[in-house]
Amino acid sequence: MWPDFGWILNWWQWAILAAIPPAIILLYFLKLKRQPLEVPSTYLWHKSIEDLHVNSIWQRLRRNLLLFLQLLLLVLIILALLQPSWKGRQLTGERFIFLVDNSASMQTTDVGTSRLEEAKAKAGELIDRMKSGDVGMLVSFSDSARVEQMFTDDRHRLRRALDAIRPTQRSTSLLEALRVASGLANPGRSAEDITDFQVAEALPADLYIFSDGGFAPPNFSLGNLEPIYVPIGEPTAANVGIMMLSVRPSETNPELIQAFARLKNFSSKDASVALDLLLNDQLIDTDELQIAAGEEGSVVFPLGAVGAGKLELKARTSSDDLALDDVAAVVVNPPRQANVLLVTTGNELLELALQTDSTKAIARVSVEPPAFLQKKDYLARAAAGAYDLVIYDRCAPKEMPKANTLFIGSLPPQGDWSAGPAVGGPVIINVETGHPLLQWMDLGNVVLVEGTPLNPPEAGNELIDSDAGPMFAIAPREGFEDAVLGFVLIGEEEGEGGKTERYVGTNWPVRQSFPVFILNMFDYLGGGRGTLKAESVRPGQPVVVEAPAAGKNVRVRTPGGKTTDLTTGRSGKFSFTGTEELGVYEAQANGETFRRFSVNLFDDAESEIRPKEKIEIGWVPVEGKSSWEVARQEIWKGLLLLGLAVLLFEWYIYNRRVYL
Amino acid sequence: MSQTSTILSPELLARLEKMELISRKIFRGRMKGERRSPRKGQSVEFADFRNYVPGDDLRFVDWNTYARLEKLFLKMFLEEEDLHFYALIDASGSMDFGEPTKLQYAVQLAAALGFIGLIRGDRVKIETVGQSPGRAAPIFRGRHSLWRMLDHLEQIRPDETTLLTEGVKNFCLRNSGKGIIVLISDLMDKTGYEPALRYLVSQDMDIYVIQVLSAEELDPELQGDLRLVDSEDGDEAEITVSAPLMKRYQRTLSAFVDSARDFCTRRGIAYLLARNEVPVEDLVTGYLRTRGLVR
Repeated sequence: MWPDFGWILNWWQWAILAAIPPAIILLYFLKLKRQPLEVPSTYLWHKSIEDLHVNSIWQRLRRNLLLFLQLLLLVLIILALLQPSWKGRQLTGERFIFLVDNSASMQTTDVGTSRLEEAKAKAGELIDRMKSGDVGMLVSFSDSARVEQMFTDDRHRLRRALDAIRPTQRSTSLLEALRVASGLANPGRSAEDITDFQVAEALPADLYIFSDGGFAPPNFSLGNLEPIYVPIGEPTAANVGIMMLSVRPSETNPELIQAFARLKNFSSKDASVALDLLLNDQLIDTDELQIAAGEEGSVVFPLGAVGAGKLELKARTSSDDLALDDVAAVVVNPPRQANVLLVTTGNELLELALQTDSTKAIARVSVEPPAFLQKKDYLARAAAGAYDLVIYDRCAPKEMPKANTLFIGSLPPQGDWSAGPAVGGPVIINVETGHPLLQWMDLGNVVLVEGTPLNPPEAGNELIDSDAGPMFAIAPREGFEDAVLGFVLIGEEEGEGGKTERYVGTNWPVRQSFPVFILNMFDYLGGGRGTLKAESVRPGQPVVVEAPAAGKNVRVRTPGGKTTDLTTGRSGKFSFTGTEELGVYEAQANGETFRRFSVNLFDDAESEIRPKEKIEIGWVPVEGKSSWEVARQEIWKGLLLLGLAVLLFEWYIYNRRVYL
Repeated sequence: MSQTSTILSPELLARLEKMELISRKIFRGRMKGERRSPRKGQSVEFADFRNYVPGDDLRFVDWNTYARLEKLFLKMFLEEEDLHFYALIDASGSMDFGEPTKLQYAVQLAAALGFIGLIRGDRVKIETVGQSPGRAAPIFRGRHSLWRMLDHLEQIRPDETTLLTEGVKNFCLRNSGKGIIVLISDLMDKTGYEPALRYLVSQDMDIYVIQVLSAEELDPELQGDLRLVDSEDGDEAEITVSAPLMKRYQRTLSAFVDSARDFCTRRGIAYLLARNEVPVEDLVTGYLRTRGLVR
């Protein structure tokens, strides 16, 4: 730190000042009054000072402490008259608001440890320079603002609060931070306190914004706030980020699942990106992508049939300053167990097919007699949508449930379903294998004893056609689908003596296609298809999760291993807001994971890490400033005191005749 | 007697009366004195025998020997002669310093030594360096000459400007006789004292050099910025007194004294450094005695 002389003198005044000390030296020699003293002989004296004559002028200077002290005194007085001040020690102003950006882009490592650390260091430097009596306030902001420390003149508290700022992985919005900050400078505009109306005089404050400028220009009137933007980061920062990762069916063949990723190069140089795709931490595919500077690139990974799990994509480049957007994860949720109700008077064939191990894994099947349909329990649950699929075997409810349905040998009471008279031995002539319910099925070896040709509503589809008419049809209803089989698997008829006799209506249950049909049915009507949809949210955004049952306690485990216990509401849904970390979150009930969701950055504004040279606040541009005006801390008093000390010392030397 | 008290106190005279000047060499004198002479003569002190040759003074034939040996031998006796004592005082301006002044000190010293010589019947001659070559200095002999000698010394003034070398040369030209020469000077001659001493050495005299320095030369108490003016030639030296300068002066002084002593010792000259603070009687009865000038 060099003293600042304020440049109050022009060059010739400086020249005069600079000429004074040499003039004093000159006068000192010219006016040196040597006392004449007669000595017997100067013989020895001449010999003694002979070699001193060689550099006598310097010898005189060296020997003459008094002259030095006089010069020193003069210099000190001149310095004091110049009113020097130390530069950079203290800040001007009285009130300071430090806004520290801790959004995801501030984790860029182009400067020091990270941009956030750099910003904290710079803010700490300013806090140290606050004069006593100055007050400062510290606010960290990402997509929301957080007051780390209210106005205080305690610099230690500010430093502690500054040290406590942690990086987030959120996006950036300056607006809320500005609202918080303007509370003191512009009373009546505080964002926090609704009772804050103008009772005090508006107090101007300096607003220091430590950020890389990666946010949309806020539309905000600063009022008494004087913004000072301190850009953090290097313009040469390089970054390639994953902007999107999703899992979806192929457009040409919906049965094929693909992972689709979009990447963008935010550097000023072309980049070569190596991509690794991992499923449950197992590498399943790699690819390489060339992306020109500022351009985007996309890549498609064919996955085939993928079970449940975590799909992770890692991008590797030679130089990348932001690691957060180099990894993306999506979740392929496991099929939720379908809640299936079978209402039947007795159907061993169907029950047998529903009780296999494979079906047990994907569905929970309860079997009830038709009398159950009258019970309150059923009515409540059917109305609440507790069932995914209700199979009505030769019976029908009065009201259609809020669920998908399969009617066997009966017709839905609602909708324009109708059927013709039963015909014996209809021959299957066409099977709609393109429909998910019937895919991969061959019904050529299926024989029907009797069937009623169906007449589905207009929106319905005929899935199995026979020579007598449609034997299987499906039709939508208020977001659900109703499927109707026109033949029975096991029928009943009145036999001899009024006894009820049972007969087998078809040989389908013993054919290979029947279990496949059951699986398709659970998949399609039981809600299994929806699980493919991968959910991803941005950090900080809430996630709404449906619990397996209402009123249960669920636990959410973050990627870092932290757990949060939540209670679901009456609707069985809950909202989770602690999505601060990137990665895959797990929702558990009774120790079993029933749902996963992922949090990814996927934010162009945060991945664009090149710092902005200037920002705009309320349409007013604010230029970046890496240095700032500081107060002059004048030191002339100290110089004069020093001069006095020198004078006293000179006096002592003169009186004591101290020889050097 | 008032003159006596200024130069020589009665107490000193009393002490000096018991002393005599010693010469390390035996010189021929002009007149009979109390000194042994290389010449054989008529003193009471036997020196040697020699064969008689015709024409010898029969008074010196040793008849006792002739009675025993029937041969004529001549008894030879040491001739006792007077001693030539010269005192050469440097009366230049530089000698007019100190308390007492170096000149006073030199005069006192010369008087004391001269008195000793007078007592013993020696031939005492006191000259100054600046004495004009044409004018001979008076010669004192015998106790009765004391007052004349003191009178002569009183006349000496520190106003001579003759260079030491020149003065000594003139002295040597004037006084070719042998004897003891005591040069009393501060040797502060800017042309150097060495040629002067060489002239003395050439005279085959018993030479004593007594360098008189004042306390202000040996330990100058100077302070501040000074313009030193030489008392003889008005030469000036500007000094600013400082500890290193004083150290350097002391070194120069001791080198000067040492070189003088060295120079003298190599040439058989007895050298003595006298401070003007040391009383003359102490010097004469103490130092000079140990150095063998007086007994």
